[in-house]
Amino acid sequence: MIKVQNVSKEFKKVVKESGLKGSVKSLFSRKYDIVKAVNDISFTVAKGEILGFIGANGAGKSTTIKMLTGILTPTKGEIEINGQIPYKNRKKYVREIGVVFGQRTQLWWDLPLTETFTVLKEIYQVDDARFKKQMDFFNEVLELKDFVKSPVRTLSLGQRMRADLAASMLHSPKVLFLDEPTIGLDVVVKSNIREAITKINQEEQTTIILTTHDLKDIETLCKRIIMIDKGTLIYDGSLLDMKNKFGKFREINLSLQNNSDINMLRFKEDLNLNSDDFQIKSNKEKITVIFNSQKIGVSDMLSYILTHTNIADISVNDVNIEEIVRRMYK
Amino acid sequence: MRRLCNTYKSFLKAGIQSGMAYRVNFICFFIGESLYCIVMYFIWKAVFMSSGNGNFMGFNMVDITLYVFLSNLVGFLTSTDSTSSLALEIKDGSIIMRMIKPVNLNLSLLAFELGDKVMVITCTFIPVMIGVEIYRYITLGYIAFNIINFLLFIISVIFSYLIAFYLNLLFGYLAFFLMNIWGFNMLKGSLIKFFSGAIIPIAFFPEKIRVVFEQLPFASLVYTPTMVYMGKYSNNELLFVFAKQIVWLIVFILICRMVWYLAQKRLSSQGG
Ligand SMILES: Nc1ncnc2c1ncn2[C@@H]1O[C@H](COP(=O)(O)OP(=O)(O)OP(=O)(O)O)[C@@H](O)[C@H]1O
Ligand SMILES: [Mg+2]
Repeated sequence: MIKVQNVSKEFKKVVKESGLKGSVKSLFSRKYDIVKAVNDISFTVAKGEILGFIGANGAGKSTTIKMLTGILTPTKGEIEINGQIPYKNRKKYVREIGVVFGQRTQLWWDLPLTETFTVLKEIYQVDDARFKKQMDFFNEVLELKDFVKSPVRTLSLGQRMRADLAASMLHSPKVLFLDEPTIGLDVVVKSNIREAITKINQEEQTTIILTTHDLKDIETLCKRIIMIDKGTLIYDGSLLDMKNKFGKFREINLSLQNNSDINMLRFKEDLNLNSDDFQIKSNKEKITVIFNSQKIGVSDMLSYILTHTNIADISVNDVNIEEIVRRMYK
Repeated sequence: MRRLCNTYKSFLKAGIQSGMAYRVNFICFFIGESLYCIVMYFIWKAVFMSSGNGNFMGFNMVDITLYVFLSNLVGFLTSTDSTSSLALEIKDGSIIMRMIKPVNLNLSLLAFELGDKVMVITCTFIPVMIGVEIYRYITLGYIAFNIINFLLFIISVIFSYLIAFYLNLLFGYLAFFLMNIWGFNMLKGSLIKFFSGAIIPIAFFPEKIRVVFEQLPFASLVYTPTMVYMGKYSNNELLFVFAKQIVWLIVFILICRMVWYLAQKRLSSQGG
């Protein structure tokens, strides 16, 4: 279905020298810096699969999506999707895909939402019966009814994102690319969007590739994840495997009544932990303890901290993706 | 073909809706343009009064009045935002949202803009036309309206608009290659105003300059349709000016295609 082979993408960035002299100079000779955004990535995706892309800011996720959607041409390597090469004959290729860039919108800013759908209906030649069926489906899973008559510029971010998702799906694409579809949304809308994505995937066997910074997205949606760091693929497999492989890390955030109490926490000596299994970060307001919950249980860790320090506040969290990425990369 | 039409018709319709959203803009614009016409009228009146015999390069006072109002109307009908709408999309990167749709970029912009202008066009075109004819009737004492000239005028205006659209689009594409096209845009505006005959009828320039100006694409923008309406061309001349319009239109469409091709390569190597 989707085959990506040894794909790299380099950007040329013009180096601007500072000052007037620099500007004049750059008129005549331009210096370029080569930025390697994606570096020799290979993977395949089967039909109906949901694949999650994770990685820190600037890792190259969006660049990969842009290559897969035919907006950018890879510097090296091959991409084949549905038997087509995205950046060749782009107009024909994009008929079969749907795309959402969470930070942008494909809706018409000044027009009521319905107008955008009418235009899309014509562009993709969706017939009336199919159109109605799709709209009913969207109304059911994304609850568009309340705002389809309002101009898009008056929609809230959550409403807009739901509408964008619907817009990308109107023509029942075979592949759906979602670049940060949950960015900036509250918990309720996030879970609403996740549900919709799941339903879309089940109803139409749509192959979905999404990027996110939210571990919850990955946990609810993707059996498989790909992690990239600085353009390089560093993990391709299931989330469960990754967690098992790299330890189940947990994070305890606490603030102390007396900041010097931090010296009382001696995990190495008192709890026999390796330096790989825990980490303490502290700043003025709070202290973060990250530890491997397979080596020491959460309750043991909590009671250790409680007995050795006077805490003002405490909370236990899952480690965020960036932390896992960082640990994996080590 | 039918399919294609429907696709772009939907852009047209969306444009109409969007145009309705900015009615106030239009009213302000209309008042401004009318004032400009009146000022131009008095300037030319002063020129003609001082020239004595009331005839200048084949234009009399009625002609020049007609010219001022018509050329402004044509300038207005063929005005286009394609430079800024394209440049804006390039700058903020939203052009990628167009690239993920199976549509022709230039045509979708064109269809949308046409729709956007429909209301504005009907609200200016009809009143100005009627006004011009009433003026001619009062000053000349007979109905000077010529249906053939009028129809030819419409065709010529359509060509002018299309030429203007693609010419402006070309400047919009510059945004791919330059950080800021503001300066270029200003320059383009004044060039077009001057060379298109929007300020001074090209007929008023010395013979040698006039011949050169008439061959430039800018003359096709304002001067040609206005002169067509005024019936200043012989049949042979008509053929020639229409041929020029068609040639320039084709040239600009081709250049736009080529630039879009280059721009996509550029986008790919350097990003938005
Ligand atoms: N058009 C461009 N020109 C030059 N460099 C670019 C361009 N687009 C991206 N880059 C660079 O490529 C790298 C990868 O960017 P990309 O947008 O793919 O990251 P990302 O993984 O999507 O990050 P985020 O999570 O912040 O969205 C970054 O270092 C970025 O600066
Ligand atoms: Mg990104």
